[in-house]
Amino acid sequence: MNHETVPADVDEILISQESVRDVVRQMAARISQDYQGEKILLVGILKGAFIFLADLSRYLTVEHQIDFMSLSSYGATATTAGEVRIIMDLRTYIRGKHVIVVEDIVDTGYTLRYLQQLLEAREPASLRTCVLLSKPDRRQVDLSIDYLGFEIPDRWVVGYGLDYAERHRTLPYIAALKPEVYQED
Amino acid sequence: MSMHDDVSQILIDSPSLQARIRQLGAQISADYPPDSRPLLVCILKGAYMFLSDLTKEVTIPHKVDFMATSAYGGGLDSRGVVRLVLDLETNIRGRHVLLVEDIVDHGATINYLLRLLSTRNPASLRVCTLLNKPARREFDVPLDYIGFEIPDHFVIGYGLDIDEMYRNLPYIGVPTSELIERLIGHQGGIDGDDKPG
Repeated sequence: MNHETVPADVDEILISQESVRDVVRQMAARISQDYQGEKILLVGILKGAFIFLADLSRYLTVEHQIDFMSLSSYGATATTAGEVRIIMDLRTYIRGKHVIVVEDIVDTGYTLRYLQQLLEAREPASLRTCVLLSKPDRRQVDLSIDYLGFEIPDRWVVGYGLDYAERHRTLPYIAALKPEVYQED
Repeated sequence: MSMHDDVSQILIDSPSLQARIRQLGAQISADYPPDSRPLLVCILKGAYMFLSDLTKEVTIPHKVDFMATSAYGGGLDSRGVVRLVLDLETNIRGRHVLLVEDIVDHGATINYLLRLLSTRNPASLRVCTLLNKPARREFDVPLDYIGFEIPDHFVIGYGLDIDEMYRNLPYIGVPTSELIERLIGHQGGIDGDDKPG
């Protein structure tokens, strides 16, 4: 595999490297505008959001800190409300801080909503969400996304931090897998 | 007042960083067998910016994972023993592992991590660091890929912080003494750069 050649299990490129970069720049500009004069904390959710967070961070013109959380799902069941297990919590004490959660993708919305409730309980000055990709067709809970990059159809996407079984995470663009790849599982 | 005003000297500018990272990516891609799927391990937080660019330049299939460490209460252990706050998700037995660091300074932490990971029997274990400060080295750690050797200055930017700020400077710079005074209080308050975190 080479980044110039599209991998065989990729169906099509949904969002080009240039479009991702332009939109991440625009998102950073909006955040910088909204928080002018403030100091913010960006919380990247591992692993998926690491490239998005790094690019967002370098385009921001407001003072900010970064921190990371690593989460694991207890596994989907009919009764789940999206509870997640915290593998690594924030180092930063967020009470009184302006916090922006940075996620690569939101589909059902369970995880992000759970995370919002968990972080709200720590009484930050404000809590917003910044999401690169949203799959509205999959949404199960009412969720407000403050900064959204792209709405995408309900397909398995890879690249720019997103993986399929740990593959294709580092493609520089966002691509949809061929359905037969993930439906075999 | 821009954050650039707090930098007294730019040690490595953005184009030089990007050009060197491209070379490192090409070198890594050539060194590992194309089907070996090496695991790039990012040591948080400092290396996040470097990894996010390096991974775009490594053209063979590879995986990424993260580790985070923290000092035990009472400060940094002189032998580099740290508490793992986040361990690898990946089982590295039989895998090619490349540790990705922002900076190696006295080398204690990386030395400890290498000892720790080698007990898990990876196929190979190498280190890629963006910055190397040989003047401060106390532990003889093998560095397989080095971006830049730098003099013994406190440096910020491109993932490296001073009091959690300035990680997003697009270059590696030296903070002004006023900034150090303001954020740290006194220069002696700065421990080595490979302090956990």
